[in-house]
Amino acid sequence: MPRKELLRGCISILVGLVIWEILTRLLLENELLIPPPTSVIRSFWNLTFFGQLNKHFAATLIEFSYGFTTACIAGIVIGYFMGMHKWFDEIMDPWIATLYSIPIITVVPLIIIWFGIGMISKVIVVFKITAVAIILNTAAGIKNLDPVWLELAKSLRLSTWETTYKIRFPGALPYIITGMRLGVGRALLGVVVAELMAANAGLGYMLRDSSETWDSPKLFVTVILLAAIGLVSFNLIKRLEQRMAPWRQSAEWSTE
Amino acid sequence: MNGSDRKFSANVLKVASVVAGLTLWHLVSAYVINDSALLVSPVVVVKTTYEMLFVTGELYPHLFASSGIFFYGFVLAIIAGVPLGFVMALSPLVRDYINPWMATLYTTPRIAFAPILLLWFGIGAGSKVAIVFLGCVFPILINSYYGMRVVNREYVELARSFRLRPWELFLKIMLPASVPFILSGIRLAVGRGLTGVAIAEWFGATEGLGYLVYFAGQTLNVPTLFVGVTAFAALGIVGFEVIRRFEAYVTPWRKEAQGG
Repeated sequence: MPRKELLRGCISILVGLVIWEILTRLLLENELLIPPPTSVIRSFWNLTFFGQLNKHFAATLIEFSYGFTTACIAGIVIGYFMGMHKWFDEIMDPWIATLYSIPIITVVPLIIIWFGIGMISKVIVVFKITAVAIILNTAAGIKNLDPVWLELAKSLRLSTWETTYKIRFPGALPYIITGMRLGVGRALLGVVVAELMAANAGLGYMLRDSSETWDSPKLFVTVILLAAIGLVSFNLIKRLEQRMAPWRQSAEWSTE
Repeated sequence: MNGSDRKFSANVLKVASVVAGLTLWHLVSAYVINDSALLVSPVVVVKTTYEMLFVTGELYPHLFASSGIFFYGFVLAIIAGVPLGFVMALSPLVRDYINPWMATLYTTPRIAFAPILLLWFGIGAGSKVAIVFLGCVFPILINSYYGMRVVNREYVELARSFRLRPWELFLKIMLPASVPFILSGIRLAVGRGLTGVAIAEWFGATEGLGYLVYFAGQTLNVPTLFVGVTAFAALGIVGFEVIRRFEAYVTPWRKEAQGG
């Protein structure tokens, strides 16, 4: 990011926070509606060192990473076979398309009924969301592979395994990463929704808890933490994407 | 094998896959998990849908409530998103100042804002429309921004050589050139808006499809839960398809817009 842009961005955030602080201190008697930034920071401090923030944060992170990792593995394998074999693609397609078009969060109650209110149901929510995005993109990547590369592999007499490992997989990698990027945002939404619905730990649980007890500073802490997780994971994957596929014009913020 | 043969056999496989899947689902629900609090047969789902549509008619109020919220949030998102995207594309200064706030709002899981919006707008329609709005506005804004940014330089030069005034340049060149992008954004917004409806109706609603799903989940009413999920899927597919058709009609020179 050029220096000028960065500077303007920082100014914008700082000025925004100062205005927020002044307005809430001057205009609002009650911190319920919008707590000033300083109260939010105090609440964050207290929750980190005297509260259970770490426990909730860790719960969400663990659920998210289990679901995401397993989804990557399963998604790449299924997507690979869909890209390689037409018949498999045709069998899977209607199911994947249906899963893709159902708003994820409407399935959450069902998953909780089936797998309980513990960690497993959240891992499965994350898995489902991420896997669909990765399957679709991996299949597209395998199908759109430049035929010249495959001819090269043939003329070098590469074995099937070598062709997969050295040609097809690297060729599809940029697509796979795009799938991951699409998966991250939605999976984060999914895990929070699931925790909000039924859980005893996690940031989604904190969200529900703080909103039901009218603890606005705590509510804002949760929201800001979620925003931070979203920003960090989004930028990590964007960087990864730029390294793996530098020829792709990556957007500052890309739509889903 | 010629083209139509190929297509025919592909369709046969697809239909066979769906039929086999539904049969398996029915058999599992009939013989393996014979517990209506966990899983019900697709036959029961179809029957419940039929009853809710044509016998009791209880699906309609939910459908109308959700459609209304979706409509208002969606239209407001278009009204706000398109001009803001244009302004950001035309003025780097505005873009740089708005960007950090936008990036934060966009990458935060939307559900996080639901309790705050509820606090500000109450449990009525206002907070729900706001949640849908927040879901829809970003794809529309971002695509409008890109649409303006990537206008072909040759068009702009052509306009210059015709000595078009700035507002003519905007109306005759920039705006039409960005229409396909805006439409892609709107198409992406449909899905996000529907998720927004579902989220919004979990909080203090008394009707709507999201409420239906939530309530059915809490009371272990699995047939109704499936009906709600199916209704959402159907709305998503219909909305997406309508906008895709509209897109093909308005911008026939585009072969296929890249999907999300």
